[in-house]
Formats: sequence, structure tokens, C-alpha cells
Amino acid sequence: MVKVLAEGAESVVYDTKLNGIRALLKRRIKKDYRIAQMDAKIRSQRSKNEARIIAAVSKAGINAPRLILYDGYDLYMSAVEGDKLSEALKSNIVGATVFKRIGETLGGLHNADISHGDYTPANIILSDGVPYVIDFGLSEITSSVEEKALDVLLMKRSVTPQRYSSFLQGYRSSCKGSNGILKRLELIERRGRYQTRTLT
Amino acid sequence: MAVIGIESSAHTMGIGIVDRGKVVCNIKRMYRITDKGLIPARVADFHSEGVGGIISESMKVAGIGARDIEAIGYTKGPGLGACLRVGQLTALTLSKRLGVPVMPVNHAVAHIEIAKWYLKMRNPLALYVSGGNSQIIGLSEIPHRHYHIHGETFDVGVGNMIDNFARYAKLNPAWGSTVARSAEGGSYIEMPYTVKGMDFAFAGLLTNAEKLIDSGKSVRDVAYSLQETAFSMLLEASERAMMLMGSGEFLICGGVAQSARLKEMARLMCKAHGARFGVATDEYNADNGAMIALVAEKMFRSGHKPARSDCTVKQKYRIDSVRVGW
Repeated sequence: MVKVLAEGAESVVYDTKLNGIRALLKRRIKKDYRIAQMDAKIRSQRSKNEARIIAAVSKAGINAPRLILYDGYDLYMSAVEGDKLSEALKSNIVGATVFKRIGETLGGLHNADISHGDYTPANIILSDGVPYVIDFGLSEITSSVEEKALDVLLMKRSVTPQRYSSFLQGYRSSCKGSNGILKRLELIERRGRYQTRTLT
Repeated sequence: MAVIGIESSAHTMGIGIVDRGKVVCNIKRMYRITDKGLIPARVADFHSEGVGGIISESMKVAGIGARDIEAIGYTKGPGLGACLRVGQLTALTLSKRLGVPVMPVNHAVAHIEIAKWYLKMRNPLALYVSGGNSQIIGLSEIPHRHYHIHGETFDVGVGNMIDNFARYAKLNPAWGSTVARSAEGGSYIEMPYTVKGMDFAFAGLLTNAEKLIDSGKSVRDVAYSLQETAFSMLLEASERAMMLMGSGEFLICGGVAQSARLKEMARLMCKAHGARFGVATDEYNADNGAMIALVAEKMFRSGHKPARSDCTVKQKYRIDSVRVGW
């Protein structure tokens, strides 16, 4: 049985089985607005990149789905049981310790030179209170301080100041280059064009 | 009864007249761009020479006299300082003479509002694409009603990027439509495709296109690939925003929204999600005075009373800093 679990802008995630074992299938879908050549290239490059990153994430010992199989535009991964942090936040029962761990987790990714690209509450699953990171579709293997700072910025924009401060505590304690990254974050926030950008 | 709108943020001097939500007149004069692009001081001279005549002409077309004018709107920004100044001074002078209020209008708000008016859409997600701007925008009520920017360019606007390429490739006139024409029948060359969530960047694409021209690739193939890449990036970011917001309506507006290929791509994107797609006619996508008059009238009728200190020009007047009071 195949069930659609999530439908994103560029991919569909199915709850399926691979050799009798439960697995999630992330399939990048064809975009009619792009010319076929460009579309195929983008989809295959992104899937390949994501497969590489999921493997690197596992190797770094980060809590995240594990890669089972990669095939063209398809990625098969292990499933993570639990609720999305974005959902859990609605009922307001998420404590400071969880945010500290979320910070530590990002620190772990950055230590392995992985930038997530979309580190928001919608991409974190709480499994028995333990944060798991999902969706590496926009991730990169990079030592870029800028990319890492953008990960921190995205979380800062997505949660309350108190939660961000717990997050930051965890991040500082685990991430080796956190000083330089947080300095860059200040610079990014001061860039003129985006100064007045509001948030919802 | 009428509200006049004066648009002078870039190459176009436009005067529009609106009467209770109806556009009764929309006249514009465009500065012809040479190989040097826009020189703000020259364009400002062009605007100040033309503005008086266009206002008289507009009033004649609309069949109104000075006593019918209830309010005067002008573009406060974003735009070129020298050019904006012409519209602002004209509006302030007229307002003093006629004893009616002045409404400082945000140019981006005006583009979206006139497209919504034309398409009869209520709460669409909008892709606003012009020379200097490329933004994905939607109404938000938090913390107060305003146009929220979901995504935007990290560097240059898509229109200026295409115009710059046209100038580099010695296309004449250096213009988006010229690039579109020379792209016909081209073949695809892979170019940098930079989308970060709902944001995007064009500078790397332009540099790459220039390098390809230098290396002897045909203008046709580079123009084709540049246009396809840039527009695909815009649509991908818009699509992501649309999914995130759950919008059932999508519109494109601004100068670049006149592009046939961009319209076609946007239509295909919406079709895949069962969303309604809309784009106004070119008359309203190119800079024009009617859109300024339309928003000025909304501000006026909703009781907006700007202080004299608000009636300035602001080159980087961001859409998300505007409180929407209607």
C-alpha cells in the first residue's frame, strides 16, 4: 500500500514498503514550466545531492532518517515516528531542553560541514522528545560560514526569543566554529536591503 | 469626482485618473533608452518637461476640471531619486494650489493592487517582477495588515539583469523583449540556477551569460538559456510560496510580467496545482499612473491622512513597510 505522506513544491513523499520493510519514498516530480532538459538535470542533481547528504548526516551520528536506496529521482529512507515540531509548538508543551538539543543537533551538522538550508520547526520531528532532522532537499556540504549562519537565522526567525536563546545555548556548546558563524549572522542581519523585512 | 496619480519612479512618466475605483484615463510617456541605459538626471529632466502637458491632456480625456480633483497620489518609492522627486514636487504643488490632500504611494503596492483590480482577485500570491524588483508577495494580517515578502532576489532585479545582458550582447534596443526575440529557436546551455527556499539570486547567472558570450557561444542560445533559467527560478520560488501559503490564486505583475514566456510558465505552474492564474494587460503591467491613482484613492477613501513629513521620496521604500488601511 502506498500513501501520500506529504506534498511539497518539488517532491511528494510516500509512505511505502521496500522489500517488506516500511520506508519513505521521496520522489521529485516533473515541472511542466521548466524545459525538459533543465528539469531532468535539476531533479536528478538534487536527488543525488540529497542522497549524498543523508549519508553524510548518518555518518556524523545526527538523528535523521537513514538512506536505504537512491534511484534517479527517487530516494528511499527509513521512517521517523513522531510529530513535527511545528505541530508540537501549537500546543505549547515544548520545553527549553528540547530547543537546546535542537541547537546541539544543528551544531553537529555544522561540525560535519553540512548546512541544512531550511532549518525550521517544520523540518524537525520530535520522537519521544528527541529531535530528528528531516528534509535535506536544500542542504549542502560546505564549510561556508554564510550558509551556516543562514541556518541559525532561519531558526531565529521561526521561534520566540526565549526558545531561540535555549537553541543558541545548545548550538554554542556543540558547534566548534560558532563564534565566527554568529558574527556573520550579525552582518547578514545588518545588510541594508533586508533590514525592514517583516516576519509572519 | 476624481483622484489623480503621478508615476515617475523610472523611465515612465504616467498620469492616471480614477473615479470611485474606475480608471477613467491612463496616459504615459516613456523615456527612450539608449545604449547607456538610464541616466537618472536625464530621465528626471524628461519627466519635468512632460508632466504639465500630460496632466492637462489627462484631464481633458477624463473630462474633468480642477474642481473635480479630490486627492493627488504620487509614487514615493521605490525608484530613482531624481525621477521620484519630479512626481513628488508636482503632487505637492498641485495639492497646495487646489487645496486637496496628497497621498504618497508605494510603487510595488500599486502594481499588485491594479493587477488585483483588473483580475478581480481578492487575496492572491503575487510575483512582482520589474527592472529593479523581483519579489514574491502576499497579504498578511500579522502584526497588522501589510504585504509580506515571502521571497525576493538576493542581488539584482530580473529585469535589470536581462537588460544588462542585452547591452553586453549588443542587442539593440537593450530590452527584455529584444532578448526574448533573439532567444527564439535557441538551444539550452546549462547555467547557474540559484534558488534558496523562496529567495533567489541573479548576479551569478548574468556573469555566467557574459562569459558564455565571450567564449563565442551564440547570442541566441545564451539568451534562450538565460531567460529559461531566470524564469524557472522565479516560478520555482513562487510555487514553494504558493504551497506554503495554500494560495488558490496567483498573479504576476510589473514590467517583466509582459513577457509571453513568463506568462506561459506561470500558467503551467498554476495548472499543476489547480490554482487560478492571472495577469493584467500590458497597459497595467508597464509603469503607469492609473495604478498610483487607484491606490491613492483607496488611501484617501479609507481616511488616510499623511503628515507632511511622510510626503517624501524614498528610493528603497519597501512594500512590507506599508500599512494597508483598506
